Amino acid sequence: MPEPLSPKRGRPERRAADRSAAERSVAERAADHAALDQLAGTLLPALIAKLGASALGEIEVREGDWRIRLRRPLDGAPPARQTRPVERAADKPARPAVHPLDGLTARTESRGVATSPAVGIYRPRTDLHAGERVRAGDRLGSVDMLGVAQEVVAPADGVVGTSLAESGDAVEYGQELLVIELTPGSVASTNGNRAP
Amino acid sequence: MFRKVLIANRGEIALRILRACRTLGVEAVVAYSEADRESLPVQLADEAICIGPADARRSYLSAPAVISAALLTGCDAIHPGYGFLSEDEGFAEVVAAHDLTFIGPPAGVLERFASKAGTRELLAAHGLPTIPGSVGMLRDEMHALDEAERIGYPVLIKPSAGGGGKGMRMVRTPRELESVLRVCRSEARAAFGDDSLYLEKWLDENRHVEIQVAIDRYGHGVHLGDRDCSVQRRHQKILEEAPTAALDEAGRADLAQRAIRAAVAAGYENVGTLEFLVDRDGAAFFIEINCRIQVEHPVTELLTGVDLVATQMRIAAGEPLGFNQTDVEFRGHAIEFRINAEDPEHDFRPSTGQVERYHAPGGPGVRMDSHLYSGYDVPPYYDSLLGKLIVWGPDRSTAIARGRVALDELVVDGLVTNVAIHRALLTSEAFLDSKMTTNLLDRVGSAAFLSAAARVG
Repeated sequence: MPEPLSPKRGRPERRAADRSAAERSVAERAADHAALDQLAGTLLPALIAKLGASALGEIEVREGDWRIRLRRPLDGAPPARQTRPVERAADKPARPAVHPLDGLTARTESRGVATSPAVGIYRPRTDLHAGERVRAGDRLGSVDMLGVAQEVVAPADGVVGTSLAESGDAVEYGQELLVIELTPGSVASTNGNRAP
Repeated sequence: MFRKVLIANRGEIALRILRACRTLGVEAVVAYSEADRESLPVQLADEAICIGPADARRSYLSAPAVISAALLTGCDAIHPGYGFLSEDEGFAEVVAAHDLTFIGPPAGVLERFASKAGTRELLAAHGLPTIPGSVGMLRDEMHALDEAERIGYPVLIKPSAGGGGKGMRMVRTPRELESVLRVCRSEARAAFGDDSLYLEKWLDENRHVEIQVAIDRYGHGVHLGDRDCSVQRRHQKILEEAPTAALDEAGRADLAQRAIRAAVAAGYENVGTLEFLVDRDGAAFFIEINCRIQVEHPVTELLTGVDLVATQMRIAAGEPLGFNQTDVEFRGHAIEFRINAEDPEHDFRPSTGQVERYHAPGGPGVRMDSHLYSGYDVPPYYDSLLGKLIVWGPDRSTAIARGRVALDELVVDGLVTNVAIHRALLTSEAFLDSKMTTNLLDRVGSAAFLSAAARVG
């Protein structure tokens, strides 16, 4: 029987996030929404098309506070993971098929964080240790959801850093599991190698 | 009773279930999708767990994600709410296989009532009159045309796996039937994963009346009266009230008695609703049973004082119902207004965005079930229900007066809502005279309703 999830696990940070969200002004939020809408509706599809048509391995765009980086996976899969929101009403207006934040990874300037793909029990790879080099898309472990393993993958090229969850932990969808320290200049250095 | 319940739903019903759990002293965990992280049920819950992305197929509709979340948080039961997995017998079966309790009818009961055509035959055998319809599912176009000819036009094409009025089409001629049959099939397949269709005779001037029942595991059951859901737009209910004016008092009592007797005899268990169409002459025809808590359940709660969600949980926990038919009293009149993020001025186009300011109305006989708060972002991924305003009065005119005041007091700034259509209804002669039929709003047109109300106002 898995260890029950601690009631407050992961919640203090969320509460903090709630507060900061509440403190932000309506205007700021509206601006964020406008920016997100633009990202999802205009910028992202254009970038995907551009990356698909080019021989580039990666494209990065900065706009205001946002930074979007699209990278072509090594196996030649489509450059961005697409999910289609389920619309229960058949007569809803057309919406962008790409959720603004889907496929983008939470990251700061120097680190990326691998997150849980499912609600279940975390099983990190036992042969992977802090300090080891990984590439974007590398398997870091899995989350067992009712007996089915869902892969945890590296969000970016980098070096394995701090573990944020232990093997056997109950984790929720999207929970941060493992820090990947981005090596300075890693983006630039891998660019050339990634042309198909 | 359960120790801890996982609420596998969102919006106002997640909040309603959370409140029922607290009333019963049961811990509750809210399972939510990424899009609902900032939602009120998540904020108010003792515990919340993210089960997947915004896409409902990978969160609220994912049986493995929901069950995994229940096991990880140490729950012993799952409340599915309405929609999503609430009437999925496969889900109920897997829940039971993991030693968890599904709060609703057991899997075997859901399976018995899963097919609408099969349910009609079953309840007809237990004495309920049913509306003339096709025998079995429509095999092909020829079969559909033959059956429609036998039943007589107009007919309603209905998906067997459907619910909530989705995927239904009314046709008046063989040519129309031919032209929409294929569309109905593909819509049913897309919406429900099952393209079985059947036909029902369409009654032009009908009223939609339903009977609420509650039956425990030991076959002891009561009815909790009727609800009139005749105010519809394209088969979607927008206002419900009780008691219905489609039947006189003796007719209501008779229908409710026959409904509870048939449901018990057919082996139904837990709370459920038997839906009927009532024609101009007051003849009632059974159409389907809803094996879940319904959106409009508060109407009955205000009329009877029975907490239907708590009753549902008690029955699922194996407790006896604990009261008899003679204990159920019906007091006054109740009306529910569904507040949707839809623009009645523009063909009920859904609207999303941020609720800049929210104020819930109050006062005697006024109840607001809503997950809104000032600053809440309504996510675009789910249905457009923002909440339900339910009013009660000792008689219908008092309930209507309270409804008018409450609708005026309600503030939902930042979104377009359908409140205007409710205001229009409360000034329309058809509604005030209790003459609404299920097709009235579509026949007259919402625009005509709105402009008539503007003139009166």
